[in-house]
Amino acid sequence: MTSVCFYFQVHQPFRIRNYNFDQIGSSHFYEDFEKNKEILNKVADKCYLPTNKKMLELIERHQGKFKISYSISGVALEQFEEYRPEVIGSFKKLVDTGCVEILSETYYHSLSFLYSKQEFERQVKKHYNKVNDVFGVSPSVFRNTELIFDNEIAQYVSEMGFKGMVCEGVDRFLMDRTPNFVYESPGVSDFKLLLKNYKLSDDIAFRFSNKEWKDYPLTSEKFAHWVHGHAGDAECINLFMDYETFGEHQWKETGIFEFLDHLPGKIFTHPDFDFKTPSEVIETFPARDIYDVPYATSWADAERDLSAWNENKMQKYSLHKIYSLEKAVKKSGKKELIDTWAKLTTSDHFYYMSTKFWSDGDVHKYFSPYNSPYDAHIFYMNVLNDFESTVQKNSVKTFKGRKTAVRKSKTAKKGVAVA
Amino acid sequence: MSAKPKILTLGWEFPPLCAGGLGPACYGLTKALSRYVDNTLILPRHEKKFKVRNVTIIGLNHVVSEILSMQSRKMDSIISEEINWDEELFSSYPLTLPRKAIQQLMISETRHHISKAERENLFSEKDIYGTNIMKKVAAYTGLVCELADDLDFDIIHAHDWITYSAGVQLKRYTNKPLVVHVHSLETDRVHPQSRNTVYEIERIGMLEADRVLPVSNFTKRCIVNHYGIEERKIAPVYNGYDADFNFNTRRTGQKFETLKREKKVLFLGRITAQKGPEFLIDTAKKLFAKMDNVKIYIAGTGDLKSHLEYLVSKNKLNNKIVFTGFLNKEDVKKLLSETDAYIMPSVSEPFGLSAVEAAQFNIPCVISKQSGAAEVLPNTLQADFWDTDKMANYLFASLNYKSLSDTLTEKTQVNLKDINWDSAARTVLSNYIYLLN
Repeated sequence: MTSVCFYFQVHQPFRIRNYNFDQIGSSHFYEDFEKNKEILNKVADKCYLPTNKKMLELIERHQGKFKISYSISGVALEQFEEYRPEVIGSFKKLVDTGCVEILSETYYHSLSFLYSKQEFERQVKKHYNKVNDVFGVSPSVFRNTELIFDNEIAQYVSEMGFKGMVCEGVDRFLMDRTPNFVYESPGVSDFKLLLKNYKLSDDIAFRFSNKEWKDYPLTSEKFAHWVHGHAGDAECINLFMDYETFGEHQWKETGIFEFLDHLPGKIFTHPDFDFKTPSEVIETFPARDIYDVPYATSWADAERDLSAWNENKMQKYSLHKIYSLEKAVKKSGKKELIDTWAKLTTSDHFYYMSTKFWSDGDVHKYFSPYNSPYDAHIFYMNVLNDFESTVQKNSVKTFKGRKTAVRKSKTAKKGVAVA
Repeated sequence: MSAKPKILTLGWEFPPLCAGGLGPACYGLTKALSRYVDNTLILPRHEKKFKVRNVTIIGLNHVVSEILSMQSRKMDSIISEEINWDEELFSSYPLTLPRKAIQQLMISETRHHISKAERENLFSEKDIYGTNIMKKVAAYTGLVCELADDLDFDIIHAHDWITYSAGVQLKRYTNKPLVVHVHSLETDRVHPQSRNTVYEIERIGMLEADRVLPVSNFTKRCIVNHYGIEERKIAPVYNGYDADFNFNTRRTGQKFETLKREKKVLFLGRITAQKGPEFLIDTAKKLFAKMDNVKIYIAGTGDLKSHLEYLVSKNKLNNKIVFTGFLNKEDVKKLLSETDAYIMPSVSEPFGLSAVEAAQFNIPCVISKQSGAAEVLPNTLQADFWDTDKMANYLFASLNYKSLSDTLTEKTQVNLKDINWDSAARTVLSNYIYLLN
């Protein structure tokens, strides 16, 4: 038996506006409400609503045999609630079929694992509670931001109580082995890894409408045929992609919805193939080998590492700076301040600062709400500049209380004899 | 192996004495081309000891007989490469010209004969422009046509409007293809709607030319929009620059920086309308409103200098904006090595070599989108010349966010490698070959 396992990422960041330096100290509103609303509406109409509708149709048509999973970031959920609550309604309908699994992730879709374990845990818990509230589910499978993964993360997440996680199947760590089996992490028991089959996933997510591709056009027959080709040599075929593939990255006109409509049926033409959710894959199949990943990988770009977010000095410094404010922010105890700060940890902010596809000035390769990675960085730094002074103002208020505490410990120390 | 193309280059400004970017550009290109072509260069004035390997240079300030005998002599290997800047020459920009219609110059077949003595006087004047510029142009045109009888060339390459009339006459006389090189336009110097004598000369030169080589896509668009020249024959050729290897371009004193250290912003160039000095003042005001520890240095001179000084006084910015006056090469280098950000707010800048040169010194550059430099330096901060809010935002960021300036300058060092005269020469050569086939 070979199971096709679909996982879709659903995420929208709180993008910051064109915050010029002259507003530092005077305006504390960082969010680009208009742009975020506009984008959310656009993606809801082109992707979320029509695709959810199609998925529901497929689940009903195949009488519960078609299964899928999602990970929906906390910040996306907040924006749905704010601007398009019917999107949440449509996800709820899907979850209620029992054929749709919701995964766990960091609420703010952040890189917090790499910079603050404390914050990572807080964000995971917050997300867990949120999906529990909204969907009534308790996720048991984890997915880190942009599938960032290594041995340490696996260890940590398993200790948090999850039974498995999804990650990228990276060639240099697979070393000629196939991603189409369940793996485990070295030294981590009772914790399973589902590795993305990037070839098949990207055929749908990236190559689908590329007329230069040798396999264009991709029909559901063709794709099912490729999947079936793995019979006997695969237990799971993990197709992980951005949900926006359907209707946004691949427009309706490309025929992506027709492809989706026929795909499950075509997969079912082979008796040894079915669909499973990540949890079902974990329950059904044993880990066949160890997937040893000593340093971080992700599903981004050709490198499949962290370079999409922390390669250049602008990114490195911004990441360092935002996390350096954590202590002061949390000490303030102010919910709004903590929330504003956490929204600034979303990975997209740093992604927009990437110069990987910028250096030769070809603007067509650069995708972001800003005109350049430099603009992205400048607005972010201006915001941090203002935010930092707000945080400092809040800590000055508590200073008086701390002062006495400091004095006390100083006098106490004086009495300590030097050995 | 086919013989090298023979080029007759018509130049005006040339080292050792230069008034603007035209001289260094003509020199840089000619020198780089000398690998690929046989070149004879005619200048109104030339200093004999300034030689360029493999290029025959004819200065019209020398007697005609001398000129003709010079041709046959091979140039030896003494090469003088010092370019000096002369303050007085800068004050002649922009040129205020007599209104006399001079189109006859372009269409007439007559040669304008002037006496030997008059010619020597004319071309020995310190200012190779000046109020009698049209007379100089007429004399140059006449002499070039005379000399052409004894010169052997395949292509005529004319640099900027002052040589276009000679180029056009030569083309009509010899039937050889004409290439005009556009380093500047009257519509930049004065106004996009200006239709004066120089404009007419530029337009006729470009119409008659077989190839038009502007120094940027920006200038190409200006040519199409303001002069109505067909796009098909316009091929941009980016200038190169002479990398300064002699001076330590690493900025000094960066190690022990304190946050309080006063930052320096530099504007380097002619203080004339085209360079956007009034927009600079506007940007400065916005920057100073938010940042104390910064000063703007204005290095250069020009027709708007006193007006700018007046604006600075009026806005009470005397202790924030420093006029250094005209600076020689050494002083410029020293200032660049202490500069924290470079600003080029030009209203209309065909290329903008000064930005490229500043970039060598690992300085983040804030430049106008309406410039050629913006095309070759993608890793600079660019804004429309009138968008002083953005310019000020960019200056503030360049001065305060080291992560930004470091990334900009690192990436720019890579871009600079592609900006070189050999690359320009090869592009020009491909145009020559196209015309000869």
